[in-house]
Amino acid sequence: MKLKVWGARGSVPSPGPHMNRYGGNTSCVQLTLASGEHLILDAGTGIRTLGLDLDGSERIHILLTHLHLDHIQGLMFFPPCFRSESEITIWGPSSPEASLEDRIARYISAPLSPVEVRELPCSVSFRDTPASEWELAGARIRSEAVTHRGPTLGYRITDGSGTIAYIPDHEPALGAPLADLEPEWISGYDLAQGADLLIHDCQYADDEYPDHVGWGHSGLTDTLTFARRTEAKRLMLFHHDPLHSDEYLDGFGATARGAWSDLGRDPTELEMGMEGAELELAPSAPVQSVHA
Amino acid sequence: MAAPRPQKPLELILARNLLTSISTPAFLLDDEAAVVFYNEAAAAMLGRTFEEAGRMDAEQWTRAFGPFDGGGSPVEVDALATTEAIRSGRPAHAEFTIKTADGERRSIEASAFPIVASEAGSSGAMVLFWPTNGASS
Repeated sequence: MKLKVWGARGSVPSPGPHMNRYGGNTSCVQLTLASGEHLILDAGTGIRTLGLDLDGSERIHILLTHLHLDHIQGLMFFPPCFRSESEITIWGPSSPEASLEDRIARYISAPLSPVEVRELPCSVSFRDTPASEWELAGARIRSEAVTHRGPTLGYRITDGSGTIAYIPDHEPALGAPLADLEPEWISGYDLAQGADLLIHDCQYADDEYPDHVGWGHSGLTDTLTFARRTEAKRLMLFHHDPLHSDEYLDGFGATARGAWSDLGRDPTELEMGMEGAELELAPSAPVQSVHA
Repeated sequence: MAAPRPQKPLELILARNLLTSISTPAFLLDDEAAVVFYNEAAAAMLGRTFEEAGRMDAEQWTRAFGPFDGGGSPVEVDALATTEAIRSGRPAHAEFTIKTADGERRSIEASAFPIVASEAGSSGAMVLFWPTNGASS
């Protein structure tokens, strides 16, 4: 399974000369599966440039964690949406209030948008994520609700020998002592447990977090603690704060690797989410399920 | 080694986080009416911390702490307001007597609030309680 980051920024696009290396586009990650098919995780503004890279013949699956604007804003500018030959399926959290299509249509409709969902020339369908594990393009996928503001999912995707956990917006330490809590009480634990790569929210430095408790995002120590408790093999810090420049994030990454090392882990297992970064998951032993 | 328990639904996790943060005695039930958590305020009233007690199914809880009706007889699990809250998906309120870890009996009022997830139905209930007229014999 290959992975490419098209947007690692949180909250709002943040272009500018001081943001070029980590990038200003919001959440979007492309997975290329063993079958050759693609899964797209979130549709932040990074999905626009991803779409330019697709030839339009692929069947496209987009897995949305939630419908905050920084995770769907790129949809309206996703080139395959405007190709009649494109087949796009958008998966996302269900709601008792309205269908996924109707909720997304609140953005892709007047006055916020010049086009309506029904006017898109592509073939697009909207699906609630199933409550149990399901298969998509040869990969096994599980989604679960996680602690954030509003209904939000995390994903666990296993393709052949590799497992990725994607939890870009997550505050598992809200009201919960992560270091000591039993695993069954930790939000997102099952999704991340033993993953070859955990892509996780780390919007704030520890000194920033006290002013943002309850905003739905994690500080550095909580992210590292969550990764340690779940025994993720590698960790990518994701959903960077829009105020964090390249220079700041370089220092933040160094601090994170030092703290990770202090926890007894190899600092090379930790990386900063960076727009354009590509990874290939090396084969590993199957991840043991806590439901066994 | 025993298999780890399945992860709790998020709404139960969030409810536990809330109960941890308040000073009103409260406990949390899962969808089988087992007590899966109670907070420090409840521990002070019951005389035993949750860490000491651990998860208790309805029968274990009743044996340890009651409740008892006005005549001092144990209340059947099926007749508990909390069980009703879970089964019916509606809040319930009751008055009864509990027994602390030291054997002291205390009169309380309890309100049970069902926790109903949008998809999976009832996940359990949150029960807040408070003493009414203090210790009784």
